[in-house]
Amino acid sequence: MKGKRTKISDISKNPDEQLLEIMSKDLMPLPYPCDRLDKELPVKPLTEEQKDRYECSLDGVSAIVLPKPKSKEEEDKLVQSFLSGLKKLLSKEDNWTFLQPLILSLEYCAKCLNCSEECQIYLASGQQEIYCPTYRSEVLRRIIKKYLHKGNKAFSKFTEGDIELNWTAIARLAELAYRCPGCRRCAQACARGVDNGLITRELRKLFSQEMGIAPKELHELGTVQQLKVGASTGISPKAFKNIVQFMEEEIEEKTGKRMKIPIDREGADILLMHNSGEFFSWPENPEAFAIIFEAAGLSWTLSSELAGYEATNYGVWYDDIQLARIALKQSEIARKLKVKKVVIGECGHATKAMIVIADRVLTGEANIPRESCLPLLADLVCNEKLKLDPKRNDFPVTLHDSCNIVRLMGIVEPQRRILREICPQFREMEPHGVDNYCCGGSGGFAIMSSMNFTDWRTAVAGRMKMKQILEAFQDVISPEIKKYVCATCSNCKGQLRDLFNYYDAWEKCGILYGGIAELIVNAMVDIKEPFIRWEWH
Amino acid sequence: MKVARMPIHLRWELYPVTHDRGYKYGGSYFEELEWWTKPLQKSRIRSIIYLLKQYLFFWKYFQRNKGYWFGLYPWHTGFYLIVSFHILSFFGALAIVVAGLSIAADSVSMLGRTIYYLTLVVAVGSFILGSVGSIGLLVKRLADADLRAYASPMNYFNYLFFLAVFLSGLIAWYFFDPSLSGYREFWKSLITFRYMDVEPATYTHIMLFSLFLIYLPFTRSTHYITKILAFFWVRWDDAPNVKGSEIEERVKEALNQPVSWSAPHIQTGKKWSEVAKGLPEDTAGVER
Repeated sequence: MKGKRTKISDISKNPDEQLLEIMSKDLMPLPYPCDRLDKELPVKPLTEEQKDRYECSLDGVSAIVLPKPKSKEEEDKLVQSFLSGLKKLLSKEDNWTFLQPLILSLEYCAKCLNCSEECQIYLASGQQEIYCPTYRSEVLRRIIKKYLHKGNKAFSKFTEGDIELNWTAIARLAELAYRCPGCRRCAQACARGVDNGLITRELRKLFSQEMGIAPKELHELGTVQQLKVGASTGISPKAFKNIVQFMEEEIEEKTGKRMKIPIDREGADILLMHNSGEFFSWPENPEAFAIIFEAAGLSWTLSSELAGYEATNYGVWYDDIQLARIALKQSEIARKLKVKKVVIGECGHATKAMIVIADRVLTGEANIPRESCLPLLADLVCNEKLKLDPKRNDFPVTLHDSCNIVRLMGIVEPQRRILREICPQFREMEPHGVDNYCCGGSGGFAIMSSMNFTDWRTAVAGRMKMKQILEAFQDVISPEIKKYVCATCSNCKGQLRDLFNYYDAWEKCGILYGGIAELIVNAMVDIKEPFIRWEWH
Repeated sequence: MKVARMPIHLRWELYPVTHDRGYKYGGSYFEELEWWTKPLQKSRIRSIIYLLKQYLFFWKYFQRNKGYWFGLYPWHTGFYLIVSFHILSFFGALAIVVAGLSIAADSVSMLGRTIYYLTLVVAVGSFILGSVGSIGLLVKRLADADLRAYASPMNYFNYLFFLAVFLSGLIAWYFFDPSLSGYREFWKSLITFRYMDVEPATYTHIMLFSLFLIYLPFTRSTHYITKILAFFWVRWDDAPNVKGSEIEERVKEALNQPVSWSAPHIQTGKKWSEVAKGLPEDTAGVER
């Protein structure tokens, strides 16, 4: 370990001092042309007023904007609430959803630290101990052993090591739960099947479901907004219809094709659901899907019903109850429309949530067929159901694998078959596939921008991905050569956008990011003008 | 048992899943178009072979952490062998009592000679490997500052205790009982309920080994069994929920349980199935 060594018991000590100060000189170096240190402090410090009001003594970063308690009584109440939540987390009634995997991870860690070498955040930070996957889990284990298991406290010190539970420990643990994107690379490395990504997720659940503590972007402005307004982006059903109209106009302007995007078409084969962020930030992606589906003659529809045009399910990151609510709502909408299947657009967590995590929540009639868009697109491209010319995509392309799609769902080849077919200069990042590195935006990070968290997720969480991208394009790194990072996930695109801003990727290297649907449409022979516009950067 | 009896959980698989056809690169059945219309192909043999490789060779450790592996592998091999040695001693004693077999280097019976030499090789192998492994793990844990930071006093106690078990066997064999007949005598005395004189050094090892077996379930050593559960029931549990299946029945049971989480967005006290219908303000008028 090269970074600052922090004892596990330090988590509850010295509340007025940061456990870690993040400095550029400690971070993992990047290749050319991002190899020079421009800022001494890669993360903008909070103001004095912010430091007074909010908890930030972990590393000077505030991810969840956690207000400091105003009195000792309030602190004690919060500590009791935490312990109450911890008991529920370990109970089969309250946590049947993940109890068995959690216990298997909590109780059988060999503390061999094989996992630490796989954690990109730990590596990118310069191997700072607080970001070591085992660190967070060990804090929790010691708390459980000392405060939940009946028995001699001295014995728990002998078996697990010492820790004190106070508000400082809890506040730092709450923040630390949002320093792991849940990419589960650490879990892959574990010979015993221990999953530190799961432990982190369960910690987040404890804070949300018992204490009501969660990032605003995930909860109030995320899942709650989705259930109340219709989308995590706040798009209402009426606004959605307007957006679709705008998309139709754009499609005609860009391609000359006049089309009516089907909405609420009952009995269609496919209900296509996008991450609503696409409509706001990257309308070219849902436009591309519309163009492809119409060209292929598919029977499909979008839904304008509340929550029907929103594929996301942020509950997958922090709250089982919100997860279930959203999954059931989405299923209800699909059943109402009597579609044959739901196809999820390019969004990693939405695909994983709807198809895998929520699979057992959808019982009886709620269990409707659901699939990722990638096998469908691969079928259209590779079985020549679309007329495509790969020469139209003759620029360097690399693929960023979304963790949720590859490591958490095993969808690895379809997107590669597409890119090999339509991108003559496709090259892989190393490592890739199920061994990929997270973009640093998983686990909700990509949409969390409060306080100085964006700086942290670009400077630290996304650093390894930036390194990979630069290495993949090192032979064509000049900004004169325009390059494309294909990311089959909305949140990954959000993170890449922020990463490229932070590291001046367009100015220094001419790198653009986008989805796979855009590349397909860009290759379509009957569309005169290039669909991908480099000025999208 | 506690873990085995826990309720069904939501899916949490991790790829590569070894039983999948695309396991070499981590591909799953989700790569198929309309995967639910296609038969799922699984290779349980491949999963079993994968786990056997881990149990016998600790392949993951060898790939990622050779320094740790150099202590871990001999220790575990010593463990398998020491258990085998005591089982061989028991069967050796049984053969003597029941069949009157002579178990010695100069036994007229080939079976007798085989049991003798096999017991010797297994025992000595276990004592040496186990001792080397225990010392190796202890030194690694002490010398590596990263590992040391996560070690508890119990870790060190365990390494020393394990070392005492293996070393006591080595000492007893080398100085006092080179033929290991003392162990067969011990088992004979248990089988026949007759007292037999056993070397104190041999007896010490037997006592330490017995304590070792009693102590083991109270350590994390039950990972031997829970590892199988972690892989088969979590990591590789990609079985889809099908209408009318056992999975669905078990989930419905779980959904009937009351929720006691206290956050404002949760209707504390109601069943999971009710809470999942929507936000409190949206389900206030909804009948149970």
